[in-house]
Amino acid sequence: MSITYRTPARNVPAVRDVSLEIPAGRITAIVGGSGGGKSSLIYGILRLLPPRTELSGSIFYDGTDLVSTDEEWMREFRWKRAALITQGAMNSLTPVLTVGYQISEVLQVRLGLSRREAEKRTLELLAMTNLTQIHARKFPHELSGGEKQRAVISMAVSCFPGLLIADEPTSALDMITQAEVVTTLVGMVRDQGMGLLLVTHDLPLANSVCDDLAVMYEGRIVETGTPSKILRSPSHEHTRKLLSAFSFKGGARP
Amino acid sequence: MKVPRWSFITFFLILAIAVIGPMSLSKGPQETVAKPFAPPVWSGGDAPPPFSGNLSPNSKEMNIEWDWDAPENLTLRGQLTFDHDVVARLVWTTPEGSKYTLSSFHGSGVWSIDLDARDMTFKTVLGIPPFASATSLLFPSRGLHALSLEGPSPSEGSLELVLPGGRWGLLGTDQRGRDVLSLFIVGIRVSLLVGISATFIASLLGLSIGLASGYLGGVADSLIMRIVDVLLSIPILPILMVLVGIWGKGLWQLVLILGLFSWMGTARTVRSLALSLRESCYVENLRSIGAGSWYILYRHLLPEAMPIVLAAVSLGVPGAILAEAGLSFLGLSDPRIISWGRMLHEAHGFGAFTAGAWWLIIPPGLGISIICLVFLDMGRSIEEMADPRLRGGGQG
Amino acid sequence: MWSYWSRRALGAVAVLLLVIAANFFLFRVMPGDAVSTIVDPRFSPEAKERLRELFGLDLPLYRQFLIYVRRMLTFDLGISFLSQRPVWEELKSRIPNTVALLGSALFLSSALGIWLGVKAARRRGGLTEKLVLVSGSVSFSFPSFFVQLVLLLFFAYTFPVFPLRGSVSIPLPEGAFARALDYLWHLLLPVGSLVLLGFGSWAIYVRNLMVKTLGEDFILLARARGLPEGRILWNHAFRSALPPVLTIFLLALPGIVSGAVITETVFSLHGVGKYLLDSIMGHDYPAAGAAFYILGLLTIVSNLAADAAYALADPRIRVGRRAQR
Repeated sequence: MSITYRTPARNVPAVRDVSLEIPAGRITAIVGGSGGGKSSLIYGILRLLPPRTELSGSIFYDGTDLVSTDEEWMREFRWKRAALITQGAMNSLTPVLTVGYQISEVLQVRLGLSRREAEKRTLELLAMTNLTQIHARKFPHELSGGEKQRAVISMAVSCFPGLLIADEPTSALDMITQAEVVTTLVGMVRDQGMGLLLVTHDLPLANSVCDDLAVMYEGRIVETGTPSKILRSPSHEHTRKLLSAFSFKGGARP
Repeated sequence: MKVPRWSFITFFLILAIAVIGPMSLSKGPQETVAKPFAPPVWSGGDAPPPFSGNLSPNSKEMNIEWDWDAPENLTLRGQLTFDHDVVARLVWTTPEGSKYTLSSFHGSGVWSIDLDARDMTFKTVLGIPPFASATSLLFPSRGLHALSLEGPSPSEGSLELVLPGGRWGLLGTDQRGRDVLSLFIVGIRVSLLVGISATFIASLLGLSIGLASGYLGGVADSLIMRIVDVLLSIPILPILMVLVGIWGKGLWQLVLILGLFSWMGTARTVRSLALSLRESCYVENLRSIGAGSWYILYRHLLPEAMPIVLAAVSLGVPGAILAEAGLSFLGLSDPRIISWGRMLHEAHGFGAFTAGAWWLIIPPGLGISIICLVFLDMGRSIEEMADPRLRGGGQG
Repeated sequence: MWSYWSRRALGAVAVLLLVIAANFFLFRVMPGDAVSTIVDPRFSPEAKERLRELFGLDLPLYRQFLIYVRRMLTFDLGISFLSQRPVWEELKSRIPNTVALLGSALFLSSALGIWLGVKAARRRGGLTEKLVLVSGSVSFSFPSFFVQLVLLLFFAYTFPVFPLRGSVSIPLPEGAFARALDYLWHLLLPVGSLVLLGFGSWAIYVRNLMVKTLGEDFILLARARGLPEGRILWNHAFRSALPPVLTIFLLALPGIVSGAVITETVFSLHGVGKYLLDSIMGHDYPAAGAAFYILGLLTIVSNLAADAAYALADPRIRVGRRAQR
């Protein structure tokens, strides 16, 4: 698939001829530096690209080509089949609605649950990420970063989608919270047998949790394979750069 | 070379009209020129347009095709010089062929003629009672009327016949029969004068208060900002009304009052600018090399604030113009000073509605709106010059 | 929570005191003799003496001010020079008219403006957006009385479907229903003109805020959740944009009250604003001061109402853990 952003001045290709398979029930990670087209790729999968963006090629989900479906079908598809956990949980929840309301809203609107059922189910979902009723009644700004990201994970699994897409789920969090969130996320995915597409620039993180790894650079997938293989013998320049950057742990890239 | 924004061009056009316009008027704007509520000439309708024609030694007869009811009035003015002893008469012929002698001359010399159909002497000459209408005698029906000078030709001079008609000028007349176009042109000055000078006062106040507040900080700052908050949360128009009612309706009182009550916005903007500049490295550095407060304020903060103030002036002028027009519309202005707001006040108060006189309402109203739009656009373009980030897009 | 409310209440009290003080000093200190602005020169000597005592005109200024504040707060607003009746009696019947005019105009123009603004933000570049941008600049630069005069000329003279002046017909029609209808008939054009003048600026503000909000991450995520577009627009985007909308509402309030004076004058309505103008024109100082005070009170009360709405709309204030801004 390819994604091109059209600006008045010129067309900017963000994703170029990417071909990638995400097996069901496995954790696939895409790593790469900033501006490599990772986010464009996943928003392309959900067809949530900004207007005047050209999406070409095909995306197959269970045999259906998402590129050629209509908007109504996509709306039905989102969240029930593939849910999203966004970058920077700070701003991914509507600030004026309580966390509990937002989860139960999804349950009511998407699954047709009654209000009472939805509220009960919300608490169960929150409990899966170690959150309680107290958290449900709070507004997003009253939760800590880790709590918020866990609430987002609860919301993401609310319709039991076959695929979870996580876009930098931990980048805005401190190290301890990062570990906590990742553990919750991976545990949830393994328990429910969902597929997970983890997008990150954090190579060690990807390495520690994923089954398959893909490296993306300037809109192309430059390397795929198991994490151990790629880490042992990186074949592409960019992978080596990413690796060396992390070997200094916090140091700047050369 | 870029073409200047339309608003700048329009502004200079308006300025030119405001300066040159009143001088080019042949009559004072307060003078009665036609009957009250005469519609504009081009507006059509049942009323006759004004008519004027000349009698001279070369053309001693004049035909008047009159297809309307009798006019309000008829005037005949001028001078005729007869070299010889003559007997000459001014004769009016109606469509039916009746003849009336309006005036006659015996002897030689210069004759001044000043006839008005409403005058008693005129009616006496015609032999009708004082309360009868001379024009309905002279215009008994529609058709071709004629005015002629019978007898020998004068050697020089001319006579002008004027029938005021029911329509007048480009913009008609008001309730006192004044020419609306003249009033409109004269009215520009008040709008501009009040708008610009009131905003100038307000901006100076806003600039100094804002700079002081932002630069001093602390208690002074929060006190000033509270005052601004409070002033912004009470309706200003009633205050202005009360002040004008007590202080008097003069133009300069109005300017002062408007200026005193519209500095808050500028003060707020300038203050936030001063605050951010005060904390900037640049000013820190100046201070560390020993620059004094006044020096920094005068040489650095003030120039930085200038474009903002200029934009604030331009954006503030519409507010002042609207306030002036509003107060004048409410009748709280000097009745001797012609302004657009005053014109609307008189239109509203003196029966423009029962006369359906739209020409009393549209010109001053549109004038105010256009001046406001011009200043708004100038303000925006000054803002864009000062802050390039605003360029393009414009919205969003 | 408490800090928010106490700050707001304190602000309201400050404004109230300022209005009263302005009233007190404007009418008392300004033109020459203090007595002449309170006591009608035509009153009998006994009446003058009584009023002098009532107002405490022989006491020091600060005592006079205290008496004045107390009188204002109890709506003891003095005697009108023109009608020789208590001002409050005259004002009482006018307040509902002004409230009805401003309230309905405000409600309708904000509802229309919000609806159009949201629609414009959803479809950038569409017809609605163009309409919103044009009507916004119209309402910023066209004098209200001009637009109202034109409307009056058109709908009361050219096509006489609405009355030329007044709040009710004279004589009053029989029956409560007919009277209500008559009142509405007289109110329709003034309210309509205010809506026409007002909705544009609402629509522009709402559009700008909504365009900004619709670009936020949480809207993208709401979309990813497969929520219907209308729900995203109103329940998520608009509710998030509501607090700043209310802030603008607060800032616009004084101007709206000022507009009452103009509107009531154009349409000769029986309201507080018209009373203020008539009193000023007739040098009826107690009446003018009282009308000014009532207009100030109206502003303060609606200010507090908007504050309450703001607190309801923004959870950051409702729970009050963090201060706004």
